[in-house]
Amino acid sequence: MKLLIIEDEKGLCDNIFNYFNEEGNICESCNSLTTAIDKLSAYKYDCILLDIGLPDGDGFGVLDYLRENNRNEAVLIISARNSLNDKILGLNTGADDYITKPFHLAELKARVVATYRRKTFNTNNKLIFNEITINLLGRTVSVNDTPIILTRKEYDMLLYFIANKGKVISKNAIAEHMWGDEMDMHDNFDFIYTHIKNLRKKLLDAQCADYIKSIYGIGYKFMTE
Amino acid sequence: MKLAAHYNRASIFIAVVVLMAGALIYYFAIRQITRNQLDREIAEEIAERVDYVNRNGKIPKNDFDGNLTQFVKINTANFPTRFFDTVYVSSPGKAPENGRAAAALITVGGQHYKVIITESYAGINNLVQIITLITTVLLIVLLLVLLITNKYVLTNLWQPFYNILHELKVFNVADPKTLPSKPNRVDEFNELNTAVQIMASRVKNDYQHLKQFTENASHEMMTPLAVITTKLDTLIQDENINADQYTQINDIYSAAAKLSRLNHALLLLVKIENNLVNDEEALSLQSLITQKLQQFKELIAAKDITVIEVLKENRIVASKTLIDILLNNLFSNAIRHNIEHGKLMISLTNEKLVFENPGAAKPLDGDILFERFQKAPGSDGVGLGLTIVKNICQLYHWDINYSHQGSLHRFEIVFNKDIETVAKK
Repeated sequence: MKLLIIEDEKGLCDNIFNYFNEEGNICESCNSLTTAIDKLSAYKYDCILLDIGLPDGDGFGVLDYLRENNRNEAVLIISARNSLNDKILGLNTGADDYITKPFHLAELKARVVATYRRKTFNTNNKLIFNEITINLLGRTVSVNDTPIILTRKEYDMLLYFIANKGKVISKNAIAEHMWGDEMDMHDNFDFIYTHIKNLRKKLLDAQCADYIKSIYGIGYKFMTE
Repeated sequence: MKLAAHYNRASIFIAVVVLMAGALIYYFAIRQITRNQLDREIAEEIAERVDYVNRNGKIPKNDFDGNLTQFVKINTANFPTRFFDTVYVSSPGKAPENGRAAAALITVGGQHYKVIITESYAGINNLVQIITLITTVLLIVLLLVLLITNKYVLTNLWQPFYNILHELKVFNVADPKTLPSKPNRVDEFNELNTAVQIMASRVKNDYQHLKQFTENASHEMMTPLAVITTKLDTLIQDENINADQYTQINDIYSAAAKLSRLNHALLLLVKIENNLVNDEEALSLQSLITQKLQQFKELIAAKDITVIEVLKENRIVASKTLIDILLNNLFSNAIRHNIEHGKLMISLTNEKLVFENPGAAKPLDGDILFERFQKAPGSDGVGLGLTIVKNICQLYHWDINYSHQGSLHRFEIVFNKDIETVAKK
């Protein structure tokens, strides 16, 4: 996946860059509207991460450029404003998703993967990770062609883990992804443990390798090897 | 009392007082003038008598002009002419009446006489009657004129004032259109209108600035928070971190998350207070609560809480975002402050929504419960949840009450649907 990160806050930009820059991905970054347009006019990307507040103009300018040139990049807006108007405006002018700062990198990754997948849905509605096959259309999962029954939350969690495979994910990030940050459950993440335990058990019962590893004190990691 | 009524009252009072005083002054002045006139007439009469006596050398037998003339013998020559008020009988059989009299000395052939001439006050009495009549008529006419003037002229004159008042009553700080400026022939109202317009535009400007400020503040705070969170996300990828350091990182995560929630909550409060959330639609509370129960299922299960729900159909018109937040807060509180293996009773009728859950034995302080930054001891929340709940209720004219029975805490929202419809009208 070829990715363009348009973000003026250097610290944030670098972190996103490092998190996404792994095997199979090519990342580029820029920090202003002008450089973004320059890059877009020269190259094609699969996905664009777009900060709305740029020093030399509104991030919506990028969306306008893409639309005028009939470009097909998936766009995910990163905004500091949790405003419904901005959200509607963004989604109406061609963005595919909208994420509000602050966010977890794992959440961003899951969103980007999902957005990209949606864009290429017709050609690829099966997600295969080693022995796990996920049918995205029917929301079913099978391990070594044996179907396993997952609850909705377990299914979401599996997708989330696979999108962030090889990364340590904090319990905060998992809780926010699964229950939303509005739930306001604070530091009590014990209930997550039960869900992950159930998911892991179902996968193991289907002769799946033990991918989900608990990292003591912080969270979980979906092992790739 | 209306301005016109105040004005009427004052003007009627003044009119009555001035007219009464005028009538009194009139009465005394005219009485004085008439009396002087009478005195002059009587003096003339006396002169005639003296003249007669001097010419004829005897007292006249008959009275000349029906004036009452008396001659009384006296022994002293030292008798100055004097005028006085008296009561007399003009002709036998008639009632005594007020008169004006004068006594003077006449000497006929060495005999001194006192001559007394009396004239009737009847003329003056008539005068008083006429003055009273005129005053009364004047009073009535004046009052009528005043009332009519006040009713039409005054109302007309003050119309611009009522127009401005109306503009102020319907003034909405969030409404971008300016107040209409209607030129008026009264300078004071023009001035008032200008002052009101300047004030309104200043308030609107300030409001816009405040709105921008809160938005910018949110923007500026969210970006560093995003940096902190993503730096931590990157940091935990390092395999050399030990469990102790992870605990530290976890605390930073929590603090950052709390700060972000706080920021969101404050922004939300500003939005509710300024009535900026206006995506109202018809909602079924019953189905929203059922959805929320589903959403909170895991958290409820984690504490082994038994949910007892009695939900009747209840349709409201409100913002889905706000009702979502309202229910989130009520559910979060009822779960978070619940005891292990506790209960959660939710009852919804057309009139009210009630959340009941067992919790701390000590009741919460109902007076400050809904204030900002009030937290239960040991609560990790930001202390804005119930403030948000209260503000959302206020926005829709609902009442929220807290009560407790032993360790059972109860939050009740009364929908006041009648008031709601009235307020809409």
